[in-house]
Amino acid sequence: MNIHKLWEYKEYVNVNGATLNSEIISLLQNSLTVLQVENHFTIVQYWGQIYATDLDYYIAVGLTNDALTGKKYFYTTDFQFWSLLPRPKKKYKELSLITTFPFRGDPSLKIKVLDESFEENHPDRCRFMKEENRLAATISNICEEVEICARGQLMKRPDGSITINPNFYGLTATEAKELKSYLHIRPAQHRWNTNLLTRPDYNYSMDFLDSIDQDIPKGCWNLSLEKTGSVAYLKSLYWPGMSYFHKVKTSDAGFLYIGNGRKNLDVPFLI
Amino acid sequence: MEKNLCDYMLEPDIIAATENVMPDLNNDLVLAKNFLKQQSAATGDTLYDHLVDVVQKILSQKPPDVVEHFEQYSWQVKQEKFRPNFDLLNDVYLSPPQLAVVRRMEEMFRLVKSKAEKAEDMDEEEQELDLEEDNVKPRIADLIDSNYYFKECGFGLPDSECYAVYIALNMLAIKEPVSTVRFFGKIYGTKENYYVAETELTLEELDRRIREFELKDMPGEGEGIEEGQMQVAEEQKEMLGEGEGKEEKPKEPVPPKLPPEPVSTWQPPPEIPVERPGQGVNKKVFWVCNHPGEQWICLPDVTPDQIRVARLTVRCMTGNLDAEVQSFPPFEGTERNYLRAQLARIQAGTSVSPQGFYTFGSGEEEDIDLEEGGGDLNFNPNPFYHGHSMKDLLDSSLTYWVHHGRHILKQGRTLWWNPNAGMVSFDEGEEEEEDEGPPPLEPESGPPLFTSLSEDSRLEGMTAWSVRSSSSLTPERAVAALRSNLWPGAAAFATSGQKSECMYIGWGLKFDPPNYGPAQLPRPQDEYPIGPEVMEMADPTFADEEAYRIAHLPPPPPPVLEGEGEEFGEEEDEED
Repeated sequence: MNIHKLWEYKEYVNVNGATLNSEIISLLQNSLTVLQVENHFTIVQYWGQIYATDLDYYIAVGLTNDALTGKKYFYTTDFQFWSLLPRPKKKYKELSLITTFPFRGDPSLKIKVLDESFEENHPDRCRFMKEENRLAATISNICEEVEICARGQLMKRPDGSITINPNFYGLTATEAKELKSYLHIRPAQHRWNTNLLTRPDYNYSMDFLDSIDQDIPKGCWNLSLEKTGSVAYLKSLYWPGMSYFHKVKTSDAGFLYIGNGRKNLDVPFLI
Repeated sequence: MEKNLCDYMLEPDIIAATENVMPDLNNDLVLAKNFLKQQSAATGDTLYDHLVDVVQKILSQKPPDVVEHFEQYSWQVKQEKFRPNFDLLNDVYLSPPQLAVVRRMEEMFRLVKSKAEKAEDMDEEEQELDLEEDNVKPRIADLIDSNYYFKECGFGLPDSECYAVYIALNMLAIKEPVSTVRFFGKIYGTKENYYVAETELTLEELDRRIREFELKDMPGEGEGIEEGQMQVAEEQKEMLGEGEGKEEKPKEPVPPKLPPEPVSTWQPPPEIPVERPGQGVNKKVFWVCNHPGEQWICLPDVTPDQIRVARLTVRCMTGNLDAEVQSFPPFEGTERNYLRAQLARIQAGTSVSPQGFYTFGSGEEEDIDLEEGGGDLNFNPNPFYHGHSMKDLLDSSLTYWVHHGRHILKQGRTLWWNPNAGMVSFDEGEEEEEDEGPPPLEPESGPPLFTSLSEDSRLEGMTAWSVRSSSSLTPERAVAALRSNLWPGAAAFATSGQKSECMYIGWGLKFDPPNYGPAQLPRPQDEYPIGPEVMEMADPTFADEEAYRIAHLPPPPPPVLEGEGEEFGEEEDEED
């Protein structure tokens, strides 16, 4: 969520009971504004928090031009120094999914991962990964799978670049109740035709992303309208710390992840 | 020359040529305007009107960066043109779901307010009457205060919900016979969420429930089971007897003699009795509702079997208390029983407080033997608790935090029940010696109450609880926050003063790394004992059958000649 709006959005944080207390918000706002100025970001967002045994990681995202590809992720443990997270390589992303133990809190720790799919004596069975890379890979996995926005929040301009829509007036109450009105923020995986034509009021500039109602299994997204129906909350069962809220009929919306960075593989049993 | 040109030139050119006229600006303007005013076939809209609207919108709203988003603007103007027709309908429907919820909340507020006013009135006037009546006012834990501290720690309910829930707890205390009320937490469901209140019943209500419980229990448990088994055995004997009898009676074609029917050797494990209301797992009664303002629904007491099954399955709540729970091993009960079982597990595992906050007796040192005998004593907030320093509370080995939730044994109860006892005894842990019969089972024992958290087993190298301070900048007003890694969503806080509280907000799922594995189906039991009559054998092949036949051919019959008796001799003579 946009850091300059954290004070207003404080009320809407509703993920597994976690909230943001005043101290964290103040510290975040201060240090992230400094970060924004240093890096000339147009928008800086607070992405969330990842629990680790000793200290917790706080993650922020900075955007300059393109809202889909131009994101830069930063992390810190003490709000003083924000370190840039490296771009995760594919092998780290796979490894981070099979790592079973929690994050430690020390970004330079070398983690040993045992890949059970290889048999013994295979050289790739036991691999090393730095905790920083694991963090980057986990965040990238989470974003790819569950980072979402409401339909209309992101817009594709005629020149192909993707920006945040300044004229987003919010979803209506009926639209907010449907899973179809929420879209993944990631390069579209379905055909552009499918994304476009499944709606009666398709719009070339808004419908270029996949909607979340195609995710398998059917019940893995939990949509609820709270506060007497004025705020829509979306939670994913796959990453149980992720939450997205949208205030109906306004442009307030935000994504937050607060959790321990482990994917929940029991989703088919839960439904 | 011009006459020839007349055939090829267009009218305006002719006019221009003949009249030698310069292009007329006004004329062009009119022509351009007419073009723009061409009506679109689909909408009846003209480009001219549309442009006017767009420019008017831009000028009146003066948005930044118009050029970048000009197309968007244009599209929105078009969209707005269709809105006026529907606006009237929108105004009429003032969000129906909101209205229903708001009405309920209003009722709730009115009820609580009237009670508060009544209490004020009574305070002024009829205090003597109070002494005669049941003046035990239910104690409601101050949720708003606790929520404030929880929020300092980075945990808790949003303010708007918190207030509504607090009023709802008041309503619960007014309407139902409870003596203390505490907010346990919020459990998410796929369709609706649950707000859970943990209460203790008033003594009369508790007595009433115990009496009901005992009435249901009329056939004693131990005897009941034995009788059941005897009945089963008798039935089986009857069946066998009948089987054999049938074979003898009819004198018609005797059916082939069947091997004796297999006797099922499986005996259901002895049913472990439920703990009485007011004891052990059922000490507290839970009430749930979906939205604050709704009627609170009481959850039934939990049986040990339900806890056992709940431990073996994972499932998200749906929000509907009567939903089916399909699982393996089969769960008896609907979602309300499952929810109750999960709540029991969560309460047992995550009720923590600083050491000394609760104590047995009246506040001195715990000198009561904490064996199973102490398992069911009441504990109360310690009036002499003087708080620990922040340094102690934040110590990462967690020695100063203790559990005040009773551990549930593997049986599903907090007090061990010996299944081999002839009569069920609610003893305080004396092991009964068995003279005959099955050997005595080891009594299960769990960690006694008030065990320090440092003895919780570690989970993947991580302690079961993570402790954080709420503030690094202002240590004087910092609050120690404890977060559970085993039950994500459970948290507790403690100030260096005298406050401590715990709450659970989450899905009601235990953290089971790396992931859950469903229970295996038991092996199917053998039907018939394997013996030569039942054992399957391969049918003999044709070659085998031929060989058998040839091997067993009767000796070739002697050639038949005429004459009978004499032939014998003649034959023999002839053969010789």
